[in-house]
Amino acid sequence: MHRLYILVFTVGSMGYTTAQNFTLSGYIQDSINRETLSKVQIIATDSEGKELRSTTNGYGFYSVTLSKSIQQISVLKPGYLSIKESIILDKHLNRNFYLSPETESLDLVDIRAKQNNNVKSLDMSTQTISGQTIKKIPSFLGESDVIRSIQLLPGVSTVGEGSSGFNVRGGSIDQNLVLMDEAPVFNSAHLFGFFSIFNPDAVKDVELIKGGIPANYGGRLSSTLDVKNRDGNKRVFQANGGVGTIFSRLTVEGPIVIPEKNLIRTPRKTPARSSFIISGRRSYIDYLAKPFLPANLTGSQFYFYDLTAKANYSYKRDNLFISTYIGDDVFTAQGLFGVKWGNSTVTGRWNHVFNKRLFANFTYYYSRYRYNLEFMNRGATFNWQSYIINNSAKADFNYYLSPKNNFSFGFQTTHYRFIPGKAIAKSETLNLKFGLPDRYAMESAAYLSNDWNANGRFSIRAGIRFSQFAYLGPGQVYVYTRIPGKQGVLDTAYTTKNGELVVNYFNPEPRLGFKFQIDKTSSIKGGYNRMVQNLHLISNTTASVPFDVWQPTTNNIKPEIADQLGLGYFKNFGQNGEYETSIEGYYKSLQNQVDYIDGATLLLNEYLEADLLNGIGRAYGLEAYIRKTTGKFTGWISYTLSRSERKVIGINDGNWYPNRFDRLHNLYVVAQYKLNKKWDLAANFVFSSGTPSNFYSGQYSVQGYVIPDAGSNARNNVRNPNYHRLDISATYTRKKTKKYKSDWVFSCYNVYNRRNPFSIYFSTNHQEKGQNAAIRFSVIGSIVPAISYNFAF
Amino acid sequence: MNLHLNPNKLFKTIRLLLFLATLFAQFACEDVIQVTVKNQSAKIVVDAFINTINQIQTIHITRSIGYFDSSRTEPPITNAKVAIVDQTTLPGKLFVFTHAKNGKYQFTPNTLTGDTFTIGHDYALLVVIDQDTLLGLSRLNPTTKIDSIRLVEVEGNGPPINTTGKYVELIANDRKGKGDFYWIKTFRNDSFLNSINQLNISPDMGNVSIKEDGQLFIYPVRYTKVNDFSRSYKSRETVRIEIHSVNGLAFAWFNLIANENQNGGLFATPPINIFTNIVSYNEKKKIGLAGFFCMSAVASASVVIP
Repeated sequence: MHRLYILVFTVGSMGYTTAQNFTLSGYIQDSINRETLSKVQIIATDSEGKELRSTTNGYGFYSVTLSKSIQQISVLKPGYLSIKESIILDKHLNRNFYLSPETESLDLVDIRAKQNNNVKSLDMSTQTISGQTIKKIPSFLGESDVIRSIQLLPGVSTVGEGSSGFNVRGGSIDQNLVLMDEAPVFNSAHLFGFFSIFNPDAVKDVELIKGGIPANYGGRLSSTLDVKNRDGNKRVFQANGGVGTIFSRLTVEGPIVIPEKNLIRTPRKTPARSSFIISGRRSYIDYLAKPFLPANLTGSQFYFYDLTAKANYSYKRDNLFISTYIGDDVFTAQGLFGVKWGNSTVTGRWNHVFNKRLFANFTYYYSRYRYNLEFMNRGATFNWQSYIINNSAKADFNYYLSPKNNFSFGFQTTHYRFIPGKAIAKSETLNLKFGLPDRYAMESAAYLSNDWNANGRFSIRAGIRFSQFAYLGPGQVYVYTRIPGKQGVLDTAYTTKNGELVVNYFNPEPRLGFKFQIDKTSSIKGGYNRMVQNLHLISNTTASVPFDVWQPTTNNIKPEIADQLGLGYFKNFGQNGEYETSIEGYYKSLQNQVDYIDGATLLLNEYLEADLLNGIGRAYGLEAYIRKTTGKFTGWISYTLSRSERKVIGINDGNWYPNRFDRLHNLYVVAQYKLNKKWDLAANFVFSSGTPSNFYSGQYSVQGYVIPDAGSNARNNVRNPNYHRLDISATYTRKKTKKYKSDWVFSCYNVYNRRNPFSIYFSTNHQEKGQNAAIRFSVIGSIVPAISYNFAF
Repeated sequence: MNLHLNPNKLFKTIRLLLFLATLFAQFACEDVIQVTVKNQSAKIVVDAFINTINQIQTIHITRSIGYFDSSRTEPPITNAKVAIVDQTTLPGKLFVFTHAKNGKYQFTPNTLTGDTFTIGHDYALLVVIDQDTLLGLSRLNPTTKIDSIRLVEVEGNGPPINTTGKYVELIANDRKGKGDFYWIKTFRNDSFLNSINQLNISPDMGNVSIKEDGQLFIYPVRYTKVNDFSRSYKSRETVRIEIHSVNGLAFAWFNLIANENQNGGLFATPPINIFTNIVSYNEKKKIGLAGFFCMSAVASASVVIP
């Protein structure tokens, strides 16, 4: 690997040292609101017709070094009108470009189809969805949603409705790194996954990376979901929002300036140096439910809310950002119980352009997830809290050595505090405080990655990430004697001091990707990456619950490791290349997967680690994808054939068994049709093979208690029925005025009223039947129509 | 409301409540369906809970049946030879259980002859069925004392207390020292409240994570689980509460059957086979076994509702 780098540097430098090269660099922004735009292509064509490509980084910055000549510069991004311009490059030039969003006129010749970015970029197994696309997909109760939209992409699946999170290429939900403005969020779901915490009005870009994961990302095995929020309009004050069946939302944004009298709604010619955006949502299920609740529950509250706020300031070479998110789900029944869970994050960022080729992004973030449970009964209360808190600082650099050779490097360090559970039980006679001790850890990483275009056809992305995880005191450390497949036997226990190192893990994570350009419209890409994960969500339930606890890697829990190999063929068809297709295969091998002994106690268990089992996993599959990007009719079809299995001594007699989220076939069809200026129609269809399950086969009774019996030790050996569903929606856009825009969305989820089983479970001594019964449990067992109203002014 | 601090049960209840609480319950649905399950070979089931109460002690030996067998008649094993051996005495004192009927093997203690079980002793259960010898081990742990049963008048204002009226509270302290386990049985007019929701087991005072010891049982143990809140007590009804000492293994076993009986829905955990402490003497021969052998000391108190 080191040798490879020396080679890369040398070759790169050779390309660069030629005389009379000048650098064109700057930011690319939306012309209307001056938001920076990532993944914009900059194509420089010299007088000889030779093309050189570059793309803006995640913060909208680009840099291309070109030889002195007249250059034809094209700037392209899907959803925007492209720019073509001739530039005489006789000195280093700092130049910002402003892209105009596509107007809604369909008659415009769309140039973006010819970009072939999916074919020409080094990225593989990567999907981006814009806020616009997310808003067009028919959704549950008419509310567009980030996570539910990405669940329609190849390689992504879910256990079912009502389950938080998503599964990527056979990975469990905790193996996805979900980032909101760089800060990780530990539970991305509201209302058990019916909605996600991302407010679509505040979201700028969503990128899901399933394979060939670049070295700047780490810490989770399966994927990275990078959600970047909008910065706020720098030219004019704006508000938009919506009133839906389940919640309402409002976003306000604008430049931070003292507006001239009566000119608050007039766009500024010169954008302000700083702007803000504040978005909020609150559900009103509790108000709607009030008339239907029994008298003693009328004081109940069932709702969620979230608030996203961001402000930025630009000055010359520097951009400062501060953003925050706070959100909770709240369920209380007066005098009975109260439950609350939610994330909060704060991110501070500083982008600095050191020189025309070196760009830096410095980030500090704080992220916290917590839940709180309270029970009351006749003056007795029981209160329970759990937290995971982390503080992190990181620095990321992009060095644009030459158009053919770019480097990115950086480092990060994160401090974790885990509060697995603190409880207070109070009654007339008792005041008990108990719980589990806090846990501490420090995670650090450094990475280096290089994108090298060897010749016109062959490009390589090679990178390495070194990650280190230290499990620290103070706390109680338990050492167990392990018998494979059995509960660990406590060997020794000792107390550690503040900051004392208990165990340290160091892992190199190589990343490698290549692209071979067959012709202008087709390419082959491949990649290998090793990922390491040091945070583990302890959960043995079918769907994850908000009360699942995150645990660090410890002396007993080893870092999870995944090695993934992927290969794909990318081809664009059509007159303008408007049909993007790809077929990708992958194989993933996983180590140190966490599983549980039968009847493990996962909460409030000081000796939890004795109940954990260690296993291996494998996941493999094939993903086919075709997408039509332009025209009246747009959409995609995605098909995934996949397997996800696990092998753990002590489970299933030590043989391979399918994971609970294993689905052999996943077919998603997403279609949107623009009927006319007023009406937009959309539909999606989902088909997924049934998930595996376990059935009981026998029963017996002891001391009058009926005890179900599974017979063999087989795990997940029965399949639930297949899942399929059709959703449709129609959007009516009202006649726009200069000041006010609005639309009505009529949607219908589960059109043909399919009762898709989430699971089939067995009820021993079923209440109504008085005997054992098999119960089909459907989270959505009926058709769900909805209307929502969106506005902007 | 189940306020038992046993984490598994507590969180199962929360999960259920939470899910029901959402208005999404209107879209969710559950219906009973027919499924075919694989037939398994029947397991030998040994139900051997023996205590120090001076009355006939019974061990029930049967075979397990299919999950959907609604007859609930488990075929009895009537040809077994059953005995309990006191392993602490030398030579081991033998308590022979003779077959009464339907797989029920009985032994009558006799204080006059000294044919009683002794607290602190280790006992072995021996069962011979045809060519197979089965073995179980259990120590007879001491139990705690009951101070009294207190009468509580409560206003029923919705779940869990639906009916206004009289309920009871067990006033008893946990034994001093850690590592005591109890199975608390409530009898209403001599009939054991054996609903799985009222299975009342307690590690020490009710929670292993607390530092306190030897004090009053926690609220869920002494109150929530000893009452059936759907029916308040009427005058002249009798309530008897027994505190049976069990061991840690029996506690874990009870815990699992409570969990398995409430397992289902969105947050189900994979079904498991409940372990047994009955083993085959011939380890090489694989026999399907289930059930449990447990020796208990018992403290008992009763009250007549005024």
